Amino acid sequence: MLRHAVQRLMLAVPVMFGVLLVGFLLMQVVPTDPAIVRAGPNASAEVIAQIRTDLGLDEPLYVQFALYLWRLAQGDLGVSIINNVPVAHELASTIGPTLELMFASLIWSIPLGIAMGTVGAYLRGSLIDRIVMAFSVAGVSVPVFFLGLVLIWFVGFQWQWLPFTGREGPLWTWQGLRAVILPAITLGGVFVGPVARMTRTAVLDVLGADHVRTARAKGLSERLVVTRHALRNAMVPVVTLIGLQIGFLLGGAVVTETVFSWPGVGRLAVGAILSSDFPMAQGTIIVLSMGFILVNLTVDLLYGVLDPRVRAS
Amino acid sequence: MSTTVTEITAPARPGTLKILLREPAAAVSLAVVVLVILAALLAPWLAPHDPFETDLMAVMQPPGEGAYLLGTDGQGRDMLSRMLFGLRVTLAMGALSLGIGGVIGVAMGFAAAYYRRIDGLLMRLADIMLSFPAILFGLAIAAIFGPGVTAVVIALAVATVPLMARISRSTALVVLGQDYIEAARAQGMGDARLIWRHLMPNCASPILVFSTLRFGQVILLGSALSFLGLGAQPPIAELGAMAAQGRTFLFFAPHISVIPAIGIFVVVLAFNVLGDALRDALDPRLRI
Repeated sequence: MLRHAVQRLMLAVPVMFGVLLVGFLLMQVVPTDPAIVRAGPNASAEVIAQIRTDLGLDEPLYVQFALYLWRLAQGDLGVSIINNVPVAHELASTIGPTLELMFASLIWSIPLGIAMGTVGAYLRGSLIDRIVMAFSVAGVSVPVFFLGLVLIWFVGFQWQWLPFTGREGPLWTWQGLRAVILPAITLGGVFVGPVARMTRTAVLDVLGADHVRTARAKGLSERLVVTRHALRNAMVPVVTLIGLQIGFLLGGAVVTETVFSWPGVGRLAVGAILSSDFPMAQGTIIVLSMGFILVNLTVDLLYGVLDPRVRAS
Repeated sequence: MSTTVTEITAPARPGTLKILLREPAAAVSLAVVVLVILAALLAPWLAPHDPFETDLMAVMQPPGEGAYLLGTDGQGRDMLSRMLFGLRVTLAMGALSLGIGGVIGVAMGFAAAYYRRIDGLLMRLADIMLSFPAILFGLAIAAIFGPGVTAVVIALAVATVPLMARISRSTALVVLGQDYIEAARAQGMGDARLIWRHLMPNCASPILVFSTLRFGQVILLGSALSFLGLGAQPPIAELGAMAAQGRTFLFFAPHISVIPAIGIFVVVLAFNVLGDALRDALDPRLRI
């Protein structure tokens, strides 16, 4: 187990390094001078020169990269061009809402998807199975913003049931919970389909396996056969595939945040790119990439826990 | 040369189209795909109006009323004409990124399967590229080059490369293990000829299936990036960008957003259903 973990970690480290390098080079190609940005609009030439020395902008590129990593390690991601706020500060206040949205989306969509996929596989070829499959194909084909706009139009605007702009507090408050419902239905809605589809395939594979036949032969109830023997073994590929779909979820989150004005990292990233706020864009992209790499790593490790064969190899 | 290639491919999949058309969903999706492609190609001839011409006397007209079949947008531009031209840009964006990413990916996958010495290196590279979702490539490339169609095409091509490389590598490995490859080698056939005459035609089906499914995903991603403002810029008519522009008028004229969004949904759905059906028709055992 430890060896497996170390191995995965060894793979993740160069990738993270690569992300930081690309993030650093991004700032080299864009037409802004970080010293002028930090100094603010009314700074004198001397102040700018001083900041230039402080930041090491006159040093060779590799020294600058080392300094950049050093500042990053201290949580210094630069300053926004637009409003002079530290990038790290903005990021710290947007990561929470993004995680909140993802949590609220996954908490209902993964169980529903797994349930739908299992029922579909068990009743293979039936009308219910066909409905599950049709639903999941539609789910992977629908644009996230379409779902969001339809919900805003009906639930938010016509019927006035739920709020649809912004976040109104933490999840555990009534206001906060109400505000997250529509975004969470939107983002989770495009996730149910893929999960149902993957679960169906995995359960179908397992239902045909020898140990399931044995379980039936020894007279276990169908419920036990499906839950204990089939579903449990099918969970290994499903967990991996759900992990791989986190990228898909991230893409959906960026769009959902934009549609619902949800104050998350994705919306911050899009806004920064559209307003050419390069330090902010760089910071958000680095944080999103790192988060994604960490999730992948976690899924890999979880895979090792669920499937002992992975540990051995 | 070309006749020999057909000789090899023709018996490999007899009546694929026939098997495909047996399934009603597949037949419908094929028809939709053909219609959509025709509509995009013939847009300049089909469009009743200039997609950029504004009619300030008929702003935000709902569909079916007045002179405009699908109504007009916030600037009084004909929605139907914009849909046709938008379809063109959206499909072209998808085709370009799938084409570029696909060719590089297949070359990478074949190279990895054929020249085993570089296999490890190429596949680690694919792993690293796979560690990033397409949306992140989109954000990063738009940040560097500025938003636009080019940024979207580059991002989606880059995101397609590792997927295509994996599919073509695993397919090529199976094909390369066959006896006829051994026979061709024993006859003294060179690498280039072997890859072109035996490997390519025999790997065609899985690559075709994957490309069909991927095309749907690429369209979905591309239109999402355009919706965010990172892709096609106004006044270009592109389905995702049109849906984004319509957001401002959502409460007065929902059709401006909804019609392009439905358009994307229909196109992606058709490609997804067609891809699934193709997979079943070409090889029932094949699972990607």
